[in-house]
Amino acid sequence: MATRSMSSYDAIVIGGGHNGLVAAAYLAKAGKRVLVLERRHVVGGAAVSEEVFPGFTFSVFSYVVSLLRPEIIRDLELPRHGLQILPLESTLTPLPNGDYFAAWADHDQARQELYRHSPKDAEAYDEFGRLMHHMAMAVKPIIGMVPPDPTSLSPKDLLGLGRLGRHFHGLGDDKFCALFKLMTMSSADFLEEWFECEPLKATKSASGIIGTFLGPRSPGTAYVLLHHYMGEIDGAFRAWGFAKGGTGGISEAIASAARTFGAEIRTEAEVSQVIVKNGRASGVALADGTELKAKVVVSALDPNLTFLKLLDPHELPDDLVKGVRQFKFRGSSGKVNLALSELPDFTCMPGRGPHLRGAISISPSIDYLERAYDDAKYGEFSRQPYMDVIIPSMIDPHMAPPGKHVMSCFVQYAPYQLNGGWNDAKREAFGDTVVDTLAKFAPNLKSAIIHRQVLTPKDMEDMVGLTEGNIFQGELALQQLFFLRPLPQWAKYRTPVRRFYQCGAGTHPGGGIMGASGRLAAVEILRDW
Amino acid sequence: MSRAYDAVVIGAGVGELVAANYLARAGQRVLVLEDHDVLGGVHVTEEAFPGFRVDTCASDIGFLNPQIIQDLDLSTHGLEVLSVESGVFAPVGNGDGLLLRDGADTMASIARLSPADASRWMPFSERIARLAGFLWSLYCEAPPLPTSKDRKDLFALLGIGRRLRGLGKVDMLEFLRTVPMPVADLLDDWFESDVLKGCLGAAGVSHLFQGPKSAGTAFVMLHHHVGQPGALRSRTVVRGGVGSLASALARAFGASGGELRSETGVDRILVRAGRVSAVVMQGGEEIPASRVVCGADPKRTFLELVDPTHLDPEFLQRVQHIKLQGVAAKVNLALSELPDFGCSETNLRGTISIAPSLDYLERAYDASKYGRISDQPYLEAVIPSLVDPSLAPSGKHVMSVWMQYAPYRLQEGEWGPETREALGDRVIDTLAQYAPNLPAAIMDRQVLSPRDIESRFGFTEGHFYQGDLTLDQVLFMRPVPGWSRYATPIEGLYLAGPGTHPGGGPTGMSGYLAARQMLKQRRRQPRSTV
Repeated sequence: MATRSMSSYDAIVIGGGHNGLVAAAYLAKAGKRVLVLERRHVVGGAAVSEEVFPGFTFSVFSYVVSLLRPEIIRDLELPRHGLQILPLESTLTPLPNGDYFAAWADHDQARQELYRHSPKDAEAYDEFGRLMHHMAMAVKPIIGMVPPDPTSLSPKDLLGLGRLGRHFHGLGDDKFCALFKLMTMSSADFLEEWFECEPLKATKSASGIIGTFLGPRSPGTAYVLLHHYMGEIDGAFRAWGFAKGGTGGISEAIASAARTFGAEIRTEAEVSQVIVKNGRASGVALADGTELKAKVVVSALDPNLTFLKLLDPHELPDDLVKGVRQFKFRGSSGKVNLALSELPDFTCMPGRGPHLRGAISISPSIDYLERAYDDAKYGEFSRQPYMDVIIPSMIDPHMAPPGKHVMSCFVQYAPYQLNGGWNDAKREAFGDTVVDTLAKFAPNLKSAIIHRQVLTPKDMEDMVGLTEGNIFQGELALQQLFFLRPLPQWAKYRTPVRRFYQCGAGTHPGGGIMGASGRLAAVEILRDW
Repeated sequence: MSRAYDAVVIGAGVGELVAANYLARAGQRVLVLEDHDVLGGVHVTEEAFPGFRVDTCASDIGFLNPQIIQDLDLSTHGLEVLSVESGVFAPVGNGDGLLLRDGADTMASIARLSPADASRWMPFSERIARLAGFLWSLYCEAPPLPTSKDRKDLFALLGIGRRLRGLGKVDMLEFLRTVPMPVADLLDDWFESDVLKGCLGAAGVSHLFQGPKSAGTAFVMLHHHVGQPGALRSRTVVRGGVGSLASALARAFGASGGELRSETGVDRILVRAGRVSAVVMQGGEEIPASRVVCGADPKRTFLELVDPTHLDPEFLQRVQHIKLQGVAAKVNLALSELPDFGCSETNLRGTISIAPSLDYLERAYDASKYGRISDQPYLEAVIPSLVDPSLAPSGKHVMSVWMQYAPYRLQEGEWGPETREALGDRVIDTLAQYAPNLPAAIMDRQVLSPRDIESRFGFTEGHFYQGDLTLDQVLFMRPVPGWSRYATPIEGLYLAGPGTHPGGGPTGMSGYLAARQMLKQRRRQPRSTV
């Protein structure tokens, strides 16, 4: 690729994560000359596929997709650029008593299985699904809007607030109150209103704790549950999918789209600072000393790095610096990637079966999850962690050598602030805990492991820059959402430095491979142009 | 006897008596029915031990709206507010401790723990006062449903929006940001001292089945600071114990021509064609009534007192979903001498708080999540006889202790004499770590588990507030979404207990607002509205 280091760009995007790439693609599509700078050798940020061990490719960090906005897939024509999402069809929750609970993609089969555990829950299930569908629909317009500032009296903000008010009004009493409950309740309480089957409640409530430092009984987690319900694949809500080639496949497709629109993407180009003159961004300085000029600089990094590393804090108002320092990251999850010589054989459902093509959730009860959280609250990783496990090589055989497999384990809780700090011994002990926990349900696992990669929140911070290893660039807690994300008054992708913008998951609407932050940021940047 | 009353009030708790007073003063013929021999509901003072007058359940009257005292002329009817001159004292051992009160020694007391915290105290305290002040403004009116199409509600909503903006940019955003936060995060942002954070954080979990690390507990902290001049929880103490509030209300009620019958329990509320028609007493007597004000918690009201077949299944389901999880137990002590915390007596005039850190509170909560009683409980003790010596024989004292967490549902076993007394021992052992002379000074004791509070006061699950103060159950969501304005789907039936907005704490406000709604509707069409 031709380097144009001396030349000047319309926009430089710092960080080639999927949000940075989405922003770049939209800007390039609007005819701007765009350069994306990525510190690592590969684009994607936490959405990357890498051959960690020879022959074994992993979605190293983020491993499933469902939240990617359909309008982005359309606007950027991602399927043409190689995006292919394969559905994850089921969730299997093995139970300590040797039984299991399974959620199958096929509606009748799912109902039958649920009926086996609780006829009452089987009856309630469809209505619950309808409610969640309505709730996801109710939140959808909010996800797609630039948050208005409620303290502002500018016509645009007032208009936005009015629009929001009308939207809530239009929902009617029942749906509004249901949404309010969902925003404020704990996922355990919310689900207990509907269901009695413990593994069902636990497995569902698990999506309410992902990426947060809260247990399923803490209020606020029901919202995270909804956040994970909002995923759409081809218009179908709550269909989890797996990108062909791993999550890196998504980043590659967006990068390819961006390039087609004329954007330039440079890897192994670490930005050390944003150059600010007279309160205005004029370019970036790279770690190697090179300086690049641009009319607009956009940071896809998290708020901590965006404000406190890329900028000199003296350029910023004190309350903003204080706000960033108070912004809660608190990474709570780890990742264990395993290269396997054979498939795991689950005692509760022996042999090779459709269950291995879906997710395997270690979440037998709400108490189990809550106890896992208890350990983390006091600075230890969970002795019996919650896990969301998938075997990507079952869906995309190219991920592993013939006959062999890759297994991805998302693990919670692994607190960033571990007592005594993370080190090699602690990392391996954490890896052992994960493998031991899984081996209780699939005894052949230990002997099948050829390689293992253990990633702690500290590792995620070191490798991809996520502060405190938070996978959402900041907790998805109510006080850090919408017009409060990342900070009140700075939720509209702008910063106090003119022509310097933010577009990462630390901005509204937040984490997951959604791309919405990148798109909305681009919309705002173009509005200011 | 069948005399036509304009309204029959079930229960003589503070909220119900306040409602009864306002209705009677508006010229209505009101009858109050109370099944106990003492008035006040949870606000009762009884001679639990010979010569000792004990506040059996509630240890103080909470925040009583001065408007109510004035309107009902309660001082004339015998209500005497005493000066406590102390806020919260958190002993740390060896006679030292943190003292938070409206005085200069507070800063010095914090500075001994952390000079940095002392410098942040005033800005913090003032901010809490401003945010709680806004909350109070929401507590002075029946909450409008944000989706209401009624023009009056829209005006009310706009008014709230204007008041919120009136806080100014910084406080407005702070209010919106603070409400959903865990109180632990809020305090960690401000302070470093464990003792200070534990003491303040306790207000975020008081009578709540949550720990300080749970989201939404910062709201509960604000809730408990309504009416306070800062981040202080100074107690309002009235002469003669908390029960004298009910006595004053009853006298005021009598003076307005109201009629009160005690020791007559209500068995059920009769409904005909969707309207309240009568109240049936336990003896079978039927008192015709077109309007009934019920102070019982919503679950008891709709699932026991009213025949549920009169209610829409969806409404019933909402009632069943109300979370009211009793987590607090009460220990009352008769003491031969003052417990010796090694500090000056003045420190002990307010609340003595045992919550030495946020982690301590959180661990105490952890136990209850799995149905166990906290090994190291969070305690709030008061010694009312220090402020009002008439409560105990000369030289002796009464002490009241709230203990958390004692879950209503135990994982193993049931609440019985054994568990109850074990709990009493645990509370005394914990206190004795700070006041070693306490065990020897105990002449008598009374322990109330959540089960006891349930059977004694009729509160489902022994929940003091008739419903958890979690964000999904406050304001327009209290007691159930859509019915936050004291009227119920049964025409003529109104709720007035702490199960309705604004909940327990701001004493009597629910009764005050319920009466106001009833009188307003009396003037308009007597139809229930959402």
